[in-house]
Amino acid sequence: MKFNLDFALSVVPTILTGLFTTLWITVAACLGAAVLGFTFEILRRSNRWLGYVMRFLIDVIRSTPVLVQLYFLYFVMPFYGVTLSAVVVGVVGLSVYYSGYLAEVFKGGIDSVDTGQFEAGKALGLRRRDVVWSIIAPQMLRNVVAPMGNYFVSALKATPYLAVIAVPEMLGIALELGANSFRYAEPMIAVGIIFLILAVGINQLVRMLEKRMLASSKR
Amino acid sequence: MEIAGILAGILQGFRVTALVTLYGMLWAVPFALITGVAQHFTRGAARFAVTCLIEFWRSSPVLILLFVMYYSLPSFGIRLSSMTVAAMALGLNIGGYGSQAVRAALQSLDRGQVEAGRALGLHRLNILVFIELPQAATAMMPTLVNQFIQLVKGTAIVSLITLTDMTFRAKEIAELQYNPVGVYTSLLLAYLIVCYPATLFGRYLERRVHIEQRGNREI
Repeated sequence: MKFNLDFALSVVPTILTGLFTTLWITVAACLGAAVLGFTFEILRRSNRWLGYVMRFLIDVIRSTPVLVQLYFLYFVMPFYGVTLSAVVVGVVGLSVYYSGYLAEVFKGGIDSVDTGQFEAGKALGLRRRDVVWSIIAPQMLRNVVAPMGNYFVSALKATPYLAVIAVPEMLGIALELGANSFRYAEPMIAVGIIFLILAVGINQLVRMLEKRMLASSKR
Repeated sequence: MEIAGILAGILQGFRVTALVTLYGMLWAVPFALITGVAQHFTRGAARFAVTCLIEFWRSSPVLILLFVMYYSLPSFGIRLSSMTVAAMALGLNIGGYGSQAVRAALQSLDRGQVEAGRALGLHRLNILVFIELPQAATAMMPTLVNQFIQLVKGTAIVSLITLTDMTFRAKEIAELQYNPVGVYTSLLLAYLIVCYPATLFGRYLERRVHIEQRGNREI
């Protein structure tokens, strides 16, 4: 079958109906991953044994494919009576996957804060929670925006995986269009170009935000 | 079937997983080296062209790349085996990431190294091969190991284009018997067995490169 440009253009509006789903899943997954990743890293540093456990958990998350993690959540959770909708599984899955990487980013960020800052907090008699939240976290932020931004863009690029668990995001819609018309080439190329534009655009946006944040936090 | 039996069944797909990884590397390594060096050396329009090439492979989601190539190339008269398509899509995607490690490592070298080579009357190409690249290799090793892990994990998606890798085997077994917990736990375990050593190795290399390692300080 020859490539048909008219058909390719005609499927674009239908595919774009999934754009909003793609975007909100990305945002939700980024927030989830940041919260979970920071929690993992703080727990890892809280005491020795918990440290080993969290280290292993983070490595397990980083050593297994996101696709397999999604299958695991999607097929295994119902077995234990937890039935979540595909979209929720997708958001949770991406959050967990990227939390492993963000934990590593936060590790580097915390290391870049001077030891004196921890000691000063302790000397002032602050509780550990206050040291983490009021002293470490704000100073760490400056050093983690760039790598965090990279992983956020990466999360956007991972949303097509959710098509395999039947989430109606853009790739899912494109595959359905292909199945209905028996023509896969056109929907695939259309969704490919849309994703490329989206990824490059959001990448630029993240770089811009990064510059803003770094400029405003210069001392 | 017990977990051990399921795991043995899944590991029958290891050959395909390993082959896709190997062929993927054959695309990724040359692509990363050539484009990374090219981006380092070129200026102006030429550099823009190289950057566009890299960004195309790097910014497109890898699943989309795979599907676009798998479903669309036949429409343009290009018939490739699933294995070739998978190796190209995964390899060039990872190669795009790798190129940035190569470029960053080259740029981080002291300028004096190149100047010393010039002063010795070496050809520019000799300076690159004998002075710059060997030194850059150390700096880019941790990133390249991490990219390798990404490639191994990325091969899970070839199960979606009917290659019988570990993920595909797991789905086959899941259809034969109702035991999602056993099957998907085994699948996670299978990837963990393959990737965990590489994850540990990558961490070891990172520690060697960042001499000042403070990552285990308790707070």
